[in-house]
Amino acid sequence: MDHKLKRNLLSGLALAAVGVLVLAGCSSTTSDTKSTAGSTQAAATADPITITVGTTDKVTTIDPAGSYDNGSFAVMNQIYPFLLNSTPGNAEMVPDIAVSAAFTSGLEYTVVLKPGLKFANGNDLTASDVKFSFDRQVLISDEAGPSWLLYNLESTEVVDDVTVVFHLLTENDQVFPAILSSPVAPIVDEEVFSADSLTSDDDIVAGNAFAGQYVISAYRFNELVQFTKYDGYQGVLGVAENQTVNLKYYADSSNLKLDVQEGNIDLATRSLSATDIEDLEGNDKVQVIKGPGGEIRYIVFNFNIQPYGATTAEANAGKAKAVRQAVAYLVDREAISTQVYKGTYLPLWSFIPPGLPGSTEILKDLYGATPSKDKATKVLADAGVTEVVTLNLQWNPDHYGPSSVDEYALIKSQLESSGLFKVNLQSTEWVTYAQERKDDVYPAHQLGWFPDYSDSENYLNPFFLEGGFLINHYNNEEVNQLLRDQVVTVDFAERVAKIVKIQELVAADLSTLPLLFGAQVAVAGADVSGVTLDASFKLRFGTVVK
Amino acid sequence: MATKTKGGSSLLRYLGVRFLLIFPTVLILVTMVFLVMRTIGDPITAALGGKLSNAELAIRISAAGYDRPIFIQYFEYLGQVFTGDFGSTLTTNKPITGLLATYGMATLELVIYALIVAFLVGIPLGMLAAKRRDTGVDAGLRLFAIMAYATPVFFVGLLLKLVFAVAWPILPVNGRASINTELAITLMDNPTGIYLVDAIRLGSGEMILDVLSHAILPGLALGLLTAGIFLRLVRTNMIGTLNTDYVEAARSRGVKESRLVTHHALRPALIPIITVIGMQIAVLLGGAVLTETTFEWKGLGFQLAQYLNARDYVAVQGIVALLAVIVALTNFLVDVFVALVDPRVKF
Repeated sequence: MDHKLKRNLLSGLALAAVGVLVLAGCSSTTSDTKSTAGSTQAAATADPITITVGTTDKVTTIDPAGSYDNGSFAVMNQIYPFLLNSTPGNAEMVPDIAVSAAFTSGLEYTVVLKPGLKFANGNDLTASDVKFSFDRQVLISDEAGPSWLLYNLESTEVVDDVTVVFHLLTENDQVFPAILSSPVAPIVDEEVFSADSLTSDDDIVAGNAFAGQYVISAYRFNELVQFTKYDGYQGVLGVAENQTVNLKYYADSSNLKLDVQEGNIDLATRSLSATDIEDLEGNDKVQVIKGPGGEIRYIVFNFNIQPYGATTAEANAGKAKAVRQAVAYLVDREAISTQVYKGTYLPLWSFIPPGLPGSTEILKDLYGATPSKDKATKVLADAGVTEVVTLNLQWNPDHYGPSSVDEYALIKSQLESSGLFKVNLQSTEWVTYAQERKDDVYPAHQLGWFPDYSDSENYLNPFFLEGGFLINHYNNEEVNQLLRDQVVTVDFAERVAKIVKIQELVAADLSTLPLLFGAQVAVAGADVSGVTLDASFKLRFGTVVK
Repeated sequence: MATKTKGGSSLLRYLGVRFLLIFPTVLILVTMVFLVMRTIGDPITAALGGKLSNAELAIRISAAGYDRPIFIQYFEYLGQVFTGDFGSTLTTNKPITGLLATYGMATLELVIYALIVAFLVGIPLGMLAAKRRDTGVDAGLRLFAIMAYATPVFFVGLLLKLVFAVAWPILPVNGRASINTELAITLMDNPTGIYLVDAIRLGSGEMILDVLSHAILPGLALGLLTAGIFLRLVRTNMIGTLNTDYVEAARSRGVKESRLVTHHALRPALIPIITVIGMQIAVLLGGAVLTETTFEWKGLGFQLAQYLNARDYVAVQGIVALLAVIVALTNFLVDVFVALVDPRVKF
């Protein structure tokens, strides 16, 4: 045997192993982005206040034109400025980076920006950027984006560097100011963002295209985000009270709970299970903070592909409606509330949560406060449905909290125990879910809603106006007209009456079936203060200190 | 001289053949992955079948090219694989090879930790069991080995989390590092992705300890799986070696029993372990999927589970094929190493 050759080869192997490690040391393994602002110093030096936040939410994209979900908007709220905004603890709209914002005629809404605004990259923030931000929303009209919120916007006009005029399609839009604080309205840098297509997260971060309370100084998609205070922000929220906020994404809410109770993170927001919250309420190391309950949970029916839907082989509108109504008769909201959510979510009998103008428990009136197999049987029989209905019901495991699995298992049980339904439950991870729900894939599916602004309209128009975000092929001309009318009705009582009427109509059609509403909940370390959960449903990191 | 030349060329010929065998091995593995993925239909039908009308499905399948003859798709896929193109994920539109660069190092690091645990636990305990053959200690260690090997890795992980998160919260139970370390590594120039190396490069003792403390539980959960096998292998081989003539001869010369174990019996007993490592790499990569998911260790296994949840079968196919290539290459390296260190291997 050639021992010398063996020895040489062994040495070669060892050298190769060392070489691999050296090469690994010299190569970059990540395409994730570092910003030029903040940068290394932000992580390396001990800042006066650094807050660590954990969430199970996920980002779809931080391009405002490409996402319309809570996880993405939670990030956008920290990094982009708005024309109008609300201050922590207050849901009232006030100018953010604007000096003034008001109707200058029935069809014109004029905003005057503060002078000398700049993005963190040094680019000027002018009226041209404002027009660019809204024009690209309309032009891109991404299906996953919020562009439909601009349904009443005809055009945006730049008057001078600080003045912009929104020309509306209908007069006296009572909601338009609120829309300027919604997910469709972050102001972006026209020198970084693409005018006609989505801009990648990496390009946005690399371009440092931020002008909100923070810039992003480190970003790993759905793993972590580091926000560093932007001293150049001149908006109504003021400069952030902390220097740095680190946001960590969790795949498993049990790990989120463990980390907040062990003090590894300062704040856990969205979403801990009901049992976790119940458990943490008795823990002295943390504080459970609750805010107004504007979040709702509901089932969406796709009018095309639900049983007897318009594009199915056995299409029959009457039978399809009967199926939806039978589900409404059979679902036991009280049981879901108490058994699954331990009272952290309450039964919702209306389309608008209690407390907002026009909220009415119309579903209780129409379908009863308790489940009724007899009524469900009758409505199906009257429509000519004689066979057991097979319903494919989709739910999501990672966006609406870990209790979703129990919630939908219970719904399946409630429907099947009647003998009228055979329910096939299927789950899909959020990034895919958000896409597929729009693609006529789910006959019936779970959704939740976190309002964009505190107005009854936000629980109606986005859902039931033709072309809304549900994309479930529901279209009722009478509802459409009422939805458009109420938005421009200046008289409050008259507007509320229209809102009530709209709910009566959609309760009969059942495009969606509201199930629950719940409070906002966050869990913070005992030494943390400034966590404000208000009716704006925007959690601002800038007020959190410890 | 002639003998040496013959021996050297035999070794080179052996290694050359082993190297060439990588290609049919990879071809078979990749073909199997392709066929297995296709037995559940095309990725579009797999994801959306039963939910879309046949017409809508057909449109999407056609657009993606899945309606072409299977052999055309197969050869196209082979062409992509052999040019290093494993495709892009459906859900996030990221190149599969990019995933390897980003997350592969995390999995490599975990596998290294697991192997360290396997060596540190399996070899000394195997030696002890051999030395105390047929005693209570031996029986206990054999039972431990069976349990370590047979207990599902996710169950071990959950038990460890229960102990170290609830009963005795002294070790972190999720992630690869605390967020400050993660950020520092993210912001450093050219991070390797192997956090321990990166922490050392940062020169921070605190970060090194942080990375190591995060590695203990995942490394233990995954490493015990292999430690059980190592323990049994070392025990069996060492018992055999301790009964060989040359050990008996040493014993008769008055060599101490402890020296016999460490100097005479251990080395030969370790050689089979090197052979087994090749196979264990596949086991460890499979176990990494569960371990990474349990401990939110964001490596290839964690991503694989995420893509499975998202029903992104293009991503799954790409990652699995890539893992198959890694296993084939690792086995080749192990063969080379065994050939070099084991005098019993004939060429």
